[in-house]
Amino acid sequence: MNGFFGPLDPEGRVPPRQQTRVAAFLISAHGALARQFAFTLPLKLDAAWQTELNAQFYRETEIVSLLMRATTWVPDLALGYMAASWETAWFPTPIEGIADRSLGQAVHLATLAHAVHAGIRPAALLPVEANASDPFVMALRRIEFESGRLLQAQIMFLKGPDLVPFRAAVSATLESRHIDLRKLWSGTLESVGIAVDE
Amino acid sequence: MPFLTHGSYRIRYELDGPANAPAYVLVNGLTQYSELWRTYRDALIARGFRVATFDLLGQGASDKPTLFINQDDHVLALDRLIDELGDGPVFLSGISFGGMIALRYAIEHGKRLSGLVPMSCFAELSPQLLLIGNALRTGLILGGTGYLQDLLLPMNLSDEWLKPLLDKLDGVKRQGWLVNDIYALQNLMESFLDFQPLTPQLASIAVPTMILNGEFDFLTPRALHETLRAEISNSALVIIQRAYHAFTLEKGALTADLLARFADDVLAGRWQGNKAVWIAPEDPGGELTRFPAGYDHLRAIPVMGKLT
Repeated sequence: MNGFFGPLDPEGRVPPRQQTRVAAFLISAHGALARQFAFTLPLKLDAAWQTELNAQFYRETEIVSLLMRATTWVPDLALGYMAASWETAWFPTPIEGIADRSLGQAVHLATLAHAVHAGIRPAALLPVEANASDPFVMALRRIEFESGRLLQAQIMFLKGPDLVPFRAAVSATLESRHIDLRKLWSGTLESVGIAVDE
Repeated sequence: MPFLTHGSYRIRYELDGPANAPAYVLVNGLTQYSELWRTYRDALIARGFRVATFDLLGQGASDKPTLFINQDDHVLALDRLIDELGDGPVFLSGISFGGMIALRYAIEHGKRLSGLVPMSCFAELSPQLLLIGNALRTGLILGGTGYLQDLLLPMNLSDEWLKPLLDKLDGVKRQGWLVNDIYALQNLMESFLDFQPLTPQLASIAVPTMILNGEFDFLTPRALHETLRAEISNSALVIIQRAYHAFTLEKGALTADLLARFADDVLAGRWQGNKAVWIAPEDPGGELTRFPAGYDHLRAIPVMGKLT
């Protein structure tokens, strides 16, 4: 095992089995964010910051759409139970130290989005020889690039003035989110022969 | 790969060379990782030193705190690392962001050090540095780590170094891009949002100090190093010829030689800072030259001025 996709085919494409499992994980995570942003997005925006919710919702949807079309899919029997474990990990959980339910929900969504956007770097799995003209390769690069931008909304909210009184709770929740997500991501990668440095 | 613990975080470090030798501790710049000190490790060990390198919190293989990185944590982590070195002489050197962390360590724990070498360093954010720092942070946010590297490479390295690499720059950038995460770099950059100038505390640094500054350093120009020279009593400023901010990368053999000579001079009792200004030789082993008397070392043209 090494830390990159491969072995690539003669055209520099990622093996379809690795594409399938990695794309399924990313669709699960970004799809969960898209759904949760959709539920949070009001029909009529009341505040300027809500425009960011709209942007996040559509960017997440774009990522799901992109992966569905750019991936070379192959049948994968293990995906059923793996997807079930991923999906349960995205469920909202109470945030210890934050009693206000709506604030807790916002922190849940922001910490989940931070972990997904910051902690998952799919383009870093591409070896140097990966074919830059391949749609899956380009999709992963786009997703990592867009994630870096989407992340800014989470950073601004989680570091912002509203959460200063809850800084310890927010930091602990975010660290824990990152650890949990890293575990799922590492497990997914290792299941298709990609080693992850810990 | 050994790790130190700092609170709940792990800090990756490397310690090489004879256990009873005087030690050099090298502190990374912002986008650096400890493997970039390899040339120094080899050169300093060959000169009889023990060498400690590490990834700061948020860098390389060390843990990356998700939301906040406090500069105090770097100083505490550095203190933990220096504790590992025992009681022998310790020389501390850092570049840029790492130089500032080294300065803070020297202010707080100066008695533990035998010598200090801040390189491409600053004790305060001048308006230019503040604005450039903000622009680099915006570049990171909008364009990612690769764009930040695109900005830093031409700013901090010479044409001579860049020219043969122009068609291989993606390869040069790749390792830095792989090991640096946007959120961690951003946290490191945002640790300056409440930065307080160190200048008022510099006078408390009594340890022998050699300040290294690239002749053409654009990011942290001479005036920022002059603050260190003026405030640290036993210091000397050494100008690295034809060098930019990242001269440690470009002129590794020369810089390692200067580090070794400085430590040898200090250990032999020969070092006299005297707030002097020197010009480094072009090549390792060459003679240092006094900056010509009567000329202003803060200017880029030979204008008469007086040393203060």
